[in-house]
Amino acid sequence: MTVPSPTSRPRTPGSEPDLFFPSSDSEDDIQFDTSEPSSRPVTHPTSSSVPQHLSSFPSNRSNGNHHLPSSQDSDIVIVDDPPLFPSSAAGPSSLKRSSPARSPSSRIPSHFVRGYLGEFVCEGWSLSKGKGYCSPGSKVIFERPKPIKVGEDDSRALANNKEKVGPARLVNGKVVHAKIKPAASKQITLGAMMKKPSMGTNKKGPTKPVVDQIIRFRNERGFEIGRLSVTEAGFLVHLLDTGVISLVGHVIDCPQILATGSTILLNVKVYLDRAAFESVEKEGRKEDGSGTFWQEQQETVEEEAMRKRKDALGLLFGRIGVKPLQSNALLLAQKKNGSAVINEDSLRHFDKKSGNDSSSQIKKRSPSPVKSVGSGSKGKTSVRNSDDEGEDSGDEAEKLNEEQLNELDAIYAKAQQGDKRLEETDPPATFLYTLRPYQKQALTWMNARETGDTSVRDQSLHPLWEEYAFRVERLEGAPIEIEDDDAWIDPSRKFYWNPYSGELSLTFPTSNTSSKGGILADAMGMGKTCMMASLIHLNREGDQPPEPTNPGPAEEEPASKRPKFTQITLSNQWRPIPTVTRPIHVPRATLVVCPVSLASQWHEELGKMSEKGTISSFMWYGNDRTDLDRLLLQEGKKRVDVIVTSYGTLASEFQKWRKIKDKPSYEGGSIYDHEFLRIVLDEAHNIKNRTALVSKACYELKGQRRWALTGTPIVNRLDDLYSLLHFLRLEPWGHYSFFRSFVTVPFLNQDPKALNVVQYILESCLLRREKTMRDKDGRLIVDLPPKHVDLQILDFSRPERQIYKHLEDRARRRFIQLDAEGRAMSNYTSILAMLMKLRQCVDHPLLVLGKNSDNEETGDKLLDADSGDPASSVKELIAMYAGGLKGNDSNDANSEYALQVLKDIGEAEETSECMICSNEIFDEVLLPCYHRGCQDCVVNWIGSCEDQGKSATCPMCDKGPLVMSDLRSVQRRRKRINPITGAYVGDDGLPASQGDTAITLGKVDLVSSTKLRALARKLGEMRVVDQEFKALVFSQFTSFLDLIEPTLTREGIKWLRFDGSMSQAQRATTIEEFGKKSKEPVVLLISLKAGGVGLNLTMANHVFMMDTWWNEAIEQQAIDRVHRLGQNKEVYVTRYIIKGTVEKRIMKIQRSKTALVNASLAGGAQKDKQTSLADIKKIFGLDEDNSDDEVF
Amino acid sequence: MSLPKRILKETERLLADSPPGITAAPKDDNLRHFDVTVAGPDSSPYQGGVFKLELFLPEEYPMNPPKVRFLTKVYHPNIDKLGRICLDILKDKWSPALQIRTVLLSIQALLGAPNPDDPLANDVAQHWKDDEKDAIAEAKRWTQQYAQ
Repeated sequence: MTVPSPTSRPRTPGSEPDLFFPSSDSEDDIQFDTSEPSSRPVTHPTSSSVPQHLSSFPSNRSNGNHHLPSSQDSDIVIVDDPPLFPSSAAGPSSLKRSSPARSPSSRIPSHFVRGYLGEFVCEGWSLSKGKGYCSPGSKVIFERPKPIKVGEDDSRALANNKEKVGPARLVNGKVVHAKIKPAASKQITLGAMMKKPSMGTNKKGPTKPVVDQIIRFRNERGFEIGRLSVTEAGFLVHLLDTGVISLVGHVIDCPQILATGSTILLNVKVYLDRAAFESVEKEGRKEDGSGTFWQEQQETVEEEAMRKRKDALGLLFGRIGVKPLQSNALLLAQKKNGSAVINEDSLRHFDKKSGNDSSSQIKKRSPSPVKSVGSGSKGKTSVRNSDDEGEDSGDEAEKLNEEQLNELDAIYAKAQQGDKRLEETDPPATFLYTLRPYQKQALTWMNARETGDTSVRDQSLHPLWEEYAFRVERLEGAPIEIEDDDAWIDPSRKFYWNPYSGELSLTFPTSNTSSKGGILADAMGMGKTCMMASLIHLNREGDQPPEPTNPGPAEEEPASKRPKFTQITLSNQWRPIPTVTRPIHVPRATLVVCPVSLASQWHEELGKMSEKGTISSFMWYGNDRTDLDRLLLQEGKKRVDVIVTSYGTLASEFQKWRKIKDKPSYEGGSIYDHEFLRIVLDEAHNIKNRTALVSKACYELKGQRRWALTGTPIVNRLDDLYSLLHFLRLEPWGHYSFFRSFVTVPFLNQDPKALNVVQYILESCLLRREKTMRDKDGRLIVDLPPKHVDLQILDFSRPERQIYKHLEDRARRRFIQLDAEGRAMSNYTSILAMLMKLRQCVDHPLLVLGKNSDNEETGDKLLDADSGDPASSVKELIAMYAGGLKGNDSNDANSEYALQVLKDIGEAEETSECMICSNEIFDEVLLPCYHRGCQDCVVNWIGSCEDQGKSATCPMCDKGPLVMSDLRSVQRRRKRINPITGAYVGDDGLPASQGDTAITLGKVDLVSSTKLRALARKLGEMRVVDQEFKALVFSQFTSFLDLIEPTLTREGIKWLRFDGSMSQAQRATTIEEFGKKSKEPVVLLISLKAGGVGLNLTMANHVFMMDTWWNEAIEQQAIDRVHRLGQNKEVYVTRYIIKGTVEKRIMKIQRSKTALVNASLAGGAQKDKQTSLADIKKIFGLDEDNSDDEVF
Repeated sequence: MSLPKRILKETERLLADSPPGITAAPKDDNLRHFDVTVAGPDSSPYQGGVFKLELFLPEEYPMNPPKVRFLTKVYHPNIDKLGRICLDILKDKWSPALQIRTVLLSIQALLGAPNPDDPLANDVAQHWKDDEKDAIAEAKRWTQQYAQ
């Protein structure tokens, strides 16, 4: 056993085991025990009832680690460490804690020597004969052959070990017996072992593996008594050899006279030694750096050692009966919710390998250990993924199905449940906007994330760790006290174990890590930009007064606070030293990366929010990018605090840099050579694909603090999240193999655990609020005006339906044919093109012929193919459709009508009720009999009569037959607005007073579409109610926007246009123009792709969605341009859908969410074709349940 | 699906200002389905009777005519045992300019002017042709029996 002396420095690399020897002889104290308490930190004065397990288990002697407690003996006090070093040096197999890298100091309080884990009873066999070797109550010392190599050896590692280990060493047993006793001060550490050789007992060829598994014990005088039974020894060997544990044993019972092989019953106390807590980290990072990051490495020797250690500790814990106080906060949380069952299940998964049944017995979580640990602990929790089974990264990440997406919501909610109580932080005065309470909370959180204050949010235990407590060692003879499970446990007694990696830690491993920054994932329209700006104001200078540089004692908690356990106390003094090396010029600039359409908005908003002269931003993109270095060094008025750039710019910069960076001639000056104080990715889902260039470009940026802003951190697969975590450098999740092992793979296996882990991750680094959340007082955090969505289901006019039907039948037939021939996959693109045509046709038949459509060629093929169809071709149909306009109309006829009209209805009431629809007449047409009606109504009536095979007559007077070409449109140009000057003009082009009414008759313009007319009509109605409304009209087809333009012009409605073909400057002007106060209605025509994200258009409160996009989220985004912070009017959304068309089926798919999300249909990735085909079948109405298709 | 404005307007008008002797009210569960009563015209065999009908506005209304039938048994050459009505405006003479109100008025008029030359109920029409008086008496009896 080893009792480390408190005073001893933990590891002195140099000290050799030899020391041990002498000491051992000199003393054997018996009183080990008594002395121990005092000396050993671990032991707690209070006695704990230690469960004793009878299991026979070979005790070993602790090797390397034993720290000799030497209070009395001067001998060797610090022996333990030495062994470690050698071991590490000796072979790769040594534990990870690489000696050089040992940062143990950061995590292990200096006075910590070891902690008492518990005791168990086991059986040993005598190797000696005779009496006097031992008697009940006498102490025994365990030993192992040579310490040095030992570390590594497990049976597996043997090969290495053997060679290295000197043969002589093996024997150690004999000699050793020494001074286990604290009194003696010498330890039995590995050092001891070393000596032994000298003692010369043994002989056995060291090489034998068998030998390796033997744990011998001797009495205090040094005589070897016996060995532990083989079965028990197994798992202890590794631990002893690596110095993780040390053992102290007493004989419970033994024959008075020993014979070889007689049974000796031992009570073994187990201590965790300092070495156990030494850091094992670093691997991950190194790998990152080296570029092997993505590959799963093979199990290295170190990993193997860790794996063994992990397994052995698991067994040991089980044997001793050590139970976690807390295994996983997740579990607890869920228990509260009554869903514990699931959790345990999922946890079991975690436990698959480790022997302990931690999951089933979780005790109450003790009051937050966090505090005591202090912020220092947030340092890297090093987690090695030695045991991950994850395969190499497949890309095949699965999409979340609907249920899981729903679950995701719950996870977001759960992960955020404590956030209501976040404090509010007021932004500095230089920030001009007023923040809402929830935004102030975000500021608190963000600030904490940046400055490292972990106390703002309750932290939960790192999901992979379990919390344990050292027991209080019972003094000899003291009454046995039953420890109350629920009793409060001094934090200083706690330790933590990661059953997956085998690591141990004394500090609280939180989900948080050293990375500064996080994901701000508030729902769209909650002011993420604004919050980030306030943060920029709040932390302008970064760590100027470098707090981390004074890790000094000042921050250490007064020892007096927990006098009792000082030895084990985790002191804050070990807070990690900041790893960021500060360049001479302290980075102070923030880099904002955003989609190009948002760049100017960032720039402007920052300007508006900041007091003059405080924060200035610079747009750095396009071809004329100025020299960054120079830019950032400017001081005074020209000082630049924020650089705004676009993903595209960054990607091209990255490519350039990658090519030249390693050339000797490279002189720096790239954006990658500059370290930023803060990097902000706006709309960070842009980097969701980790292999994309733009993502890599973001990963490589140098910055102290990293933020990702996105409303959808997980778009449709869990791996989306990974990319963000990697960007944030959040350990360990930012390591792909790690993420994959704990999230992706379990997820693919349908293991609920995956989502649990995600929740943990999110809890640590993500803040998300939704508009519907309520604050602690139960009020909505965002008080947005209500949003009304009106789904308008329209009916095609007859000619439109004919064209559409024709097109659809043809497309459907073609698809069925392709599908039957098994060529559907290879013709995927042309199928998509057909679908595209259908969707365009729903908007306006003329779009089908449009030059703007993407797949012109295939589209035409579609139209022309199938000549066998006797019916007129689609082109002809459309020609007829469009021909209505050019038809036979002459001015002569016109004048004749005009006279009549002027006479009969002339200045009569402007509009009357339509005879058919009973509404005010819209698009008034005049029949030859002078009856009037809406164009739609009359045209429909004529069509409906044709359908029934009779000729149409006037509904009023039955005069007929009535044909389309007899209709004349009546235009009352009451308020025609010149789109250029904005003035009202009369027919003649001269300015007219508003009241003027002019009536003209014209040919009927049939070249319109149902949706177009519906839109014009609605806008007309709105104008009556509100003279100054502003509306957005979204369509995914710019060619449709082209057609909307003239219609609006005709209606006298002012419009603006915003699409992808416009330059950044044009876009900015457009938005500005749209935002101006206007005395007349203004409509902004936006292409869904260009304007769907980011823009802030709260000046409008009407939204029209002209068509249906594959992904509802995109549409939602578009609507949120308007329904967001800053909107103070009620929002009206109108969606137009045409009955009985693909649109309806698309909506159905949208709803089931399982669909072809962007990538497959919208984007063009070819991967998911198979599933997409199924969806296409649905769209063509070929699946089983299309029964209700025509219903709506 | 929402109700076209035209139907709403017609309904309102019917409820607020129904033609004499006629009532029509939509059912609660389906606003396109009306309960109708029509009083037999004076000086007809149906005088004094109140006839129940049902009226349904199809999806295509007003491009297509409403569907109407008698629920009360009527002895009339143009109305059959099932209550179906033979009336041109309900068939090929329909015009979207017609309304529920006009349809019901037409039906009321039909009661007052049976047309056995364009029969739907052949036996009744024959009876009418053979012995109009007896047929009218029969119609009165039916009215008494079923339409009170």
